[in-house]
Amino acid sequence: MRIQGKTSRLSSFYPALFLISGLLSSATSHAYEVEFEKDKSVPIVYINVAIKGGSVTDPRGQGGLTNFMGEMLLRGTQSKTKEQIDLALDQMGARLDVEIRAEAMIFRGAVLSSQLDPYLKLLNEILTQPSFTDVEIKKLKSEMISTLQEELGHDSSLASRRFSQFLFRGHPYGNPVLGNTQDIEQLSKDQIIAHYRRLVQDKLILVIGTGDASEGKISSWSKELAAMRPNVELSAEESKLLEKVSAPKNAKSKRLLIIDKPDRTQTQINVGQIGIRMTDSDYFPLYLGNYAFGGPSFSSTLMVEIRVKRGWSYGANSSFRFGLQPRSWHLHLFPSAKDTASALGESLKLVRELKEKGISQEQFEFAQRSLANSSGFMYNTPRKRVENKLLERTLDLPDGFMKSYGPKVSKLQRDQVNNALKEFLKPDELSMTVLGTAKNLQTALAKAAGIPVEEVEVRPYTQQ
Amino acid sequence: MNFKMLTLSSMFLLVSCTTITQKEANTNPSIDHLKQKEVIPFIGNFSVNRFTLANGLRLLVVEDHSSPTLAYQTWFKVGSRDEVPGRTGLAHLFEHMMFKGTKNMKDGEFDRALEGAGAQGENAFTSRDYTAYIQEMPKDKLELIAKLEADRMVNLVINPASFKTEREVVQNERRFRTENSPDGLIYQELFGLAFQKHPYHWPVIGYQKDLENMSHKNALDFYQAYYSPNHATVVVVGDVKADEVLKTIQSHYGKLEPQETPEHSISSETAQKSPRKKELKLNIQVDKLMIGYHVPGLTHQDIPKLAVFQSILTGGKSSRLNQALVETGIATSVDAYDPDDKDPTLMIIAANLQKGKKVYEAESAILRELSKLTQETVSQAELDRAKNKINFGFYEGLESNYQKAHFLGHYEATAGDLAEGIRQQKKILDVSAANIQDIAKRYFNPNHRTVITGVKK
Repeated sequence: MRIQGKTSRLSSFYPALFLISGLLSSATSHAYEVEFEKDKSVPIVYINVAIKGGSVTDPRGQGGLTNFMGEMLLRGTQSKTKEQIDLALDQMGARLDVEIRAEAMIFRGAVLSSQLDPYLKLLNEILTQPSFTDVEIKKLKSEMISTLQEELGHDSSLASRRFSQFLFRGHPYGNPVLGNTQDIEQLSKDQIIAHYRRLVQDKLILVIGTGDASEGKISSWSKELAAMRPNVELSAEESKLLEKVSAPKNAKSKRLLIIDKPDRTQTQINVGQIGIRMTDSDYFPLYLGNYAFGGPSFSSTLMVEIRVKRGWSYGANSSFRFGLQPRSWHLHLFPSAKDTASALGESLKLVRELKEKGISQEQFEFAQRSLANSSGFMYNTPRKRVENKLLERTLDLPDGFMKSYGPKVSKLQRDQVNNALKEFLKPDELSMTVLGTAKNLQTALAKAAGIPVEEVEVRPYTQQ
Repeated sequence: MNFKMLTLSSMFLLVSCTTITQKEANTNPSIDHLKQKEVIPFIGNFSVNRFTLANGLRLLVVEDHSSPTLAYQTWFKVGSRDEVPGRTGLAHLFEHMMFKGTKNMKDGEFDRALEGAGAQGENAFTSRDYTAYIQEMPKDKLELIAKLEADRMVNLVINPASFKTEREVVQNERRFRTENSPDGLIYQELFGLAFQKHPYHWPVIGYQKDLENMSHKNALDFYQAYYSPNHATVVVVGDVKADEVLKTIQSHYGKLEPQETPEHSISSETAQKSPRKKELKLNIQVDKLMIGYHVPGLTHQDIPKLAVFQSILTGGKSSRLNQALVETGIATSVDAYDPDDKDPTLMIIAANLQKGKKVYEAESAILRELSKLTQETVSQAELDRAKNKINFGFYEGLESNYQKAHFLGHYEATAGDLAEGIRQQKKILDVSAANIQDIAKRYFNPNHRTVITGVKK
């Protein structure tokens, strides 16, 4: 539950930046890749076990399976019940959670360094000897379905999830990580075990960590782990599930969906299109162009026009989401209900202007200076370097990619940025979602979006 | 709406109605800037250099040379507790105004100067007891940030037009955090019901009606009352040398005049004698529950014991309330929040229920567990588990420059002394099973609880 103990000028995560990595790589006897950076600044060790397969591997009709299987691993082994695992972790002062991304599953662990040995032993057991008991499957189903119901109360995350589904129109990138109620209710034990078998295997696993431990210890632990999860033969159908997804495409025209929720005094607007890959040649020009337009800055076009000048929304930003294939670029704002149509109209106008006119020389120089000067914050702590490595390994980025931002941004020319924006932006193919009270908004929003009112889709917020 | 006209109108008002504060720097070059210096052990090999300038400004410096960066934070001892009824939300709204122009910089230049220099996480936050302004910078930008922060401490320009626009931004923030958030509404009601006299009664972000009626003059009065060096602590953590930081700070802040602390009497809360309850009907699909118990303020000797008590309740999946609510299928999550307010406040227990479960089931289970803790002593293993969790969280919470600066600033601003935070952490080790039973009896009497439930409309 989110608690509001204090109130800030702007809630926003600023992906940040410096330094030279001390990450050491080593190849084990199996295909496991191990990277560990020693850091003795605090007596904690962080171990991430990443599997290169995420929610896009959920088979059709089994939405949420990857997340469910990941959670089930924490709920019992051949020799320990969930209760015993929880007790052991808490006794050590440790943490172990699973995070599911579209193309990765990451077991995130942290432990006091004095407890590392028993922790590694337990982690090995959790990953290699799961029990998948019927009792725990039943309990988890009930928790997951209730969590999905609870999320309906959180406008921002609900709007984000619905936007993703609307934009991707059935493509696996639109799959909600948690799945949906109907699919979760029907998941079977056999499906969970089969998914574990195909995902948790040597060739898909990475171990990346940092902290107050020796590289040697982590490396030898990884070897033991590798020995217990050898690669397996998969059927053609199973192999297909693990293949890289196809590239998603924009719709052919603008679309608007209203997610109808009663009594809203504020709306959640998401507007966007299919994005790019981080390895695409236009990535850095667009990265800079997006920073100037709606990046994490109080001086961006969106922030100045929507918030500073007009006071319409507390936050106004645009961002990319990345995958092995192009995912999304979208802008997000949350104006009061009365300003929603104006804010949407102005945002669309700004996108069109960005495509037609690009950014000014002054905007370009400011963005370039800001990004170059702050680029070191992308790798200034061991934990950030670990996150970078996770990103590089799970998205097939070249080694050191995250450290290349400063030099690459510094070499850009304004023309490159504006040409990339002109090529990339598709104002006539934008997908738009607005979470709000439809009866007060539908006509005005249709007009602001330039869409006939009868083409505006309206769905109750409870409809998954 | 005609956007062009609005912009022109704003510009006109900026020129014609600008209000400049009357605070001026002392230009006497002979002023003795440094009053006191201390070195306080922190964690591991780190220590805190604490300086007090003659004008009352506190400066805390921690040298951490692991990366060429620094965290720079300015903590003011003012929050929503310093507001009065009818002006709720002023401390936070004013915090927003601190990013506007000064006598020396136009509107928007502060952000552009910092962002252009590579600032990260430039932001601010307001709590019940303090307001903090935060940034991380490349190490060679110390001079710049000190200059800009010192400037806005005394030279802020509060323009009526930009105040009005920013007020709308804050009203939208309130819609985001409270009006359209079930958790935000429940939280607001909890403090509103548990506190009848003390300023913790109202939300930090204020009430919509009060925000609507607020003027730039209110903001100006607030600025003049509370923003001065003797109300502030500057915290610098990173790749710096303490003496050099002191020199920089002295050169930019040393000549600023201290201000009288405004007289402001805060009413103590009368002891709660019976349960208080309220039900909210909300647009939610599963029920929610929040219970508050009155506990002492941050410097009280029982705070370390309450921290262990909290950890026993919800620290980890094996904790008592997780076992009693989540493992039994009543809730999907349950959390308890240990107090960190200056004055007596609430320890909160909050649960999100599973589909079809009713709040009375969750409340009964929580009361049962609390009652058990009054009747039995916890085992040594359970006590150790709770302490291990706290120990882990303490170290994990002090990894980055930002986190170290936040810890120090928070204790200096709220407890009046950063060393209090370190002392409390050490006292965790001394907490006994008997202490836990005593805490349960003294603070978790069911008659003293306030309960807010959120149910489907």
